Amino acid sequence: MQEFKINAQQKTSRELNRAIKKAAPENDRIIIENPNAMHYIAAGLTESVELVIDGSAGYFVGTMIHGARVHINGNAGWFPADNMTEGEVIIDGSAGDGVGQGIYGGTVVVRKSVGSRTGEIMKNGTIIVGGNSGFMSGLFMMGGRIIILGDISEDAGESIIRGTIYVGGDIKSLGKNAKIEELEEEEKGELRELLEGYDFHLEEEKYQNFRKIVPRSARPFYGQESEEGK
Amino acid sequence: MCGIAGVVFKDKKLHPVGKFMTRMLDALQHRGPDSAGFALYGGLGLREHEYLLNIEVKEKPGLLENVKSTVNTAFQIESEEIIPSVENYIIYRCKVNLESFSQLKPLIMDVDKIEDVIVLNGAHSFEMIKDVGLVKDIAARYNTEDKMGTHAIGHTRFSTESIVDRYHAHPFQSYIIPDITVVHNGQITNYWKIRDPLERKGHIFETDNDTECIVHYIADKLSQNYSLEEALEQSVKDMDGPFSYIVGTPNGVGIAKDQLGLRPGVMAENDEVFAIASEEVALREVMDTSDIEQISPGETRAYTI
Repeated sequence: MQEFKINAQQKTSRELNRAIKKAAPENDRIIIENPNAMHYIAAGLTESVELVIDGSAGYFVGTMIHGARVHINGNAGWFPADNMTEGEVIIDGSAGDGVGQGIYGGTVVVRKSVGSRTGEIMKNGTIIVGGNSGFMSGLFMMGGRIIILGDISEDAGESIIRGTIYVGGDIKSLGKNAKIEELEEEEKGELRELLEGYDFHLEEEKYQNFRKIVPRSARPFYGQESEEGK
Repeated sequence: MCGIAGVVFKDKKLHPVGKFMTRMLDALQHRGPDSAGFALYGGLGLREHEYLLNIEVKEKPGLLENVKSTVNTAFQIESEEIIPSVENYIIYRCKVNLESFSQLKPLIMDVDKIEDVIVLNGAHSFEMIKDVGLVKDIAARYNTEDKMGTHAIGHTRFSTESIVDRYHAHPFQSYIIPDITVVHNGQITNYWKIRDPLERKGHIFETDNDTECIVHYIADKLSQNYSLEEALEQSVKDMDGPFSYIVGTPNGVGIAKDQLGLRPGVMAENDEVFAIASEEVALREVMDTSDIEQISPGETRAYTI
């Protein structure tokens, strides 16, 4: 295991990202010390490296990563993992609005609660939130899955087109084009396997209480549903 | 964008609040480079009817004397200080003794009539420091880090709604009731709908800046015996647009966020401190932030001492 440490103190976001990208090809793990909630950490990182941020990150941590595994030992600001195509972003604390905005693939895990618009315009991939998720979670979601272990706030799944939002707690209200369905037993098994893999150990009763939010229609605004092959 | 921050020391004792707010705003400097400002509460130590005026005066022969004469004609100047010029303007600070708060706004309007002079603010329980430029430069010019107090709000400005100058730097103040200040990140899109009824009630607007509209609105509600929490809750229902703003009062601070949650707001709290800001990076300057909370769309938070 080749490990490399970078002290972010006194560095700008650009200088830090330059140092990360320089170190990534030659190391298995990079540790960022004193991140001090800096914005844009690991932006555009395309190496399959493990990046440990030893503290909180600011806005857009892990934006546009492809293959990197980013672990944040603190909180994150708005839009963590924005537009990630492949990889993993794990946040031990809480996060702000737009977690996993527009992701094409990969997995985002937030251990505590998050802000609003979680998974907006996401196309694929997985977002797991250990706590609650706010207003308009899954806004214009176009694929993938969001798993909220706590409660989901107003207008959940607003204008959802494809994909699934699994909710373990209360659903305050649904957005346009969203409806609630019960889970198949097979889906509960898939959830259990996925969540156990990320150290979420839930009681069986919790799995029985999960519900999912899915689209009412794949073409809610214009066109014919038959164009979607249905 | 713009950065906003607020902090309250819960024990009501004096703390180096200027130093803490300088750090918070410096951490938010990237959100706005145009100007910055502070409202530092609790450290002025003025007697009951004493008020501190901050007046911007162009460096022109005889103009400062004219200002002093105008103030002195109405009320005696008890003490004075001059912050040196950076752009052919000085800041003249003077302390006056009024018979009542209701005399403050008329005095300010009289001084404002002098050409090339503008009163930045008049206050009893807080010190207003605001200027164009970067947080650290402003803090150095005004010795902000030496200022003590119980609580404070602050702002780093990215101008979108009006010109960049000292007067339009935040905080904005209302004289409807004493010592209400606001710092703001965003836009109020139903500005005129909010402003019109306030003007019909006689409240005087000095600018077309939407932040001034917020501070008058909140002050008007407080004058009707709304609590700070109630005023903030009602403001979120009445105001449209993307916004988050922080209100400072003689007794505390509060934050409100628009119902679509289009502007950021986070808070953290422990036994000693209540802090709110645009981003965690500012909260970290005053406390351990292992647990921070996102302010939800349409939500308000406040802490009074």
